[in-house]
Amino acid sequence: MPRLHKTRRILTWLTLALAGVLALGAGLHFGGFAGDRNVTDRRGTDAGAIFGLALPDTLGHEQSIGQWKGKVLIVNFWATWCVPCREEMPEFVKAQREFGGQGLQFVGIAIDDAAKVKEFAAELDLNYPALIGGYGAIELSRALGNRLGALPFTIIVDRSGHVNHTQLGPIKEAQLRSIISQLL
Amino acid sequence: MTFRTALVSTFAALMATAAPHVTAAEPKLLEPERAFAFSVQAVDDKTVEARFAIASGYYLYREKLKFSVEPAALASPPMLPPGTIKDDAFFGNVETYRGQLAVRLPLDGAEPGRKVTVRAESQGCADAGVCYPPQVQHVTVALPAPGGRPGAPVAATPARKSWFN
Repeated sequence: MPRLHKTRRILTWLTLALAGVLALGAGLHFGGFAGDRNVTDRRGTDAGAIFGLALPDTLGHEQSIGQWKGKVLIVNFWATWCVPCREEMPEFVKAQREFGGQGLQFVGIAIDDAAKVKEFAAELDLNYPALIGGYGAIELSRALGNRLGALPFTIIVDRSGHVNHTQLGPIKEAQLRSIISQLL
Repeated sequence: MTFRTALVSTFAALMATAAPHVTAAEPKLLEPERAFAFSVQAVDDKTVEARFAIASGYYLYREKLKFSVEPAALASPPMLPPGTIKDDAFFGNVETYRGQLAVRLPLDGAEPGRKVTVRAESQGCADAGVCYPPQVQHVTVALPAPGGRPGAPVAATPARKSWFN
C-alpha cells in the first residue's frame, strides 16, 4: 500500500514538471524568443477589423473587404511614393496569377492619390484590386500591428478569417510562397 | 494535488502549444522622430535655422519638405541645399537628403525677443525597406534681440516616449 502511494506521488510531480516545461515552452515561443525574427503573440487575431473595411477602388466604386472572406487574403498597404512598396508588387502579381484559382486573393490598399495609383496599376498590369485609403487606413494598420505606421505593411489572413502573419517592410518571395502554400 | 489534477494541467499546457498563433516580422527601425530628429535654432532676430539630423540608413525627400512659421511668415521660400538625385522608375528624378540638413528660414514680421513656432513637414524612408508616412513637427524658439547672440538649438519633443528611445 505505501509503495503504490509513493509511486503515485512521483508520477504526479513528474507530470506537473512536464506541464510546467510545456507551459514555459509555449510562453517562450509566443513571447518572442523564436529565432532572430521579431515574433509576437497575437493569438489568432480575428481579422474582423479588416473585413469590416470598405474603400473605393481606382474607379471610385466602394469595395468591402468582407467580400473576400474565405479566401487566403493578403492585404498589402502601400503607396506609389514608397519605393520598396512598388518594388515588391511584381512578385504579388505573379503569385496572384499562379494561385488565384486556388483561392489566393491579394488586395492593395494605397495611401495615395487615386490617379497615381491608377497609373502605376496600369504599368504593372495589376491583377488584383487596388483600393484607395487615406491616413485613416494607416491608423487601421497600426491597430493590426503596424507600430510605426510605415509602409509596406502586409497582413495575411487564413481561410477561417484569422490573421496568420503580419510584416512591416518588404516580404521576400520565398517566405511569401511558403506562407501561401501552408494556407491554401 | 492529485495525479488527476496534474494530468489535467499537462493537457491544458499541451493545448496552449497547439493554439493557432501569429507570426510578425519587422526590421529594426527607429521611430520617425529619432530617424529624422528635428530641431530649430534662432540665428538672429530675423532668421531661424531648421535642422534635421537624419540617422544613418535613412533619407528624406526634398520634394516633401515644407516649412512654415507662426506668427510671422517666411520672408522668402527656404533655400534648400542640393541633395542627391536619383532616377526613380516611376517619378523620374528624385532628390533626397542624408545626414545633417540645415535650412535657413528668413522671417518677415517677427518681433525680436518674441517666440516663433516653426512647423516642418517631411517624409522619409529607411534603407531597410520601409517608408514612413509624412511627419509634422513643431518647435518653438525665442528670437534674440537685434544684435543679440543666437539662441540655443531647440529639439522637437518626441511624440511618444519609451524606455528604449
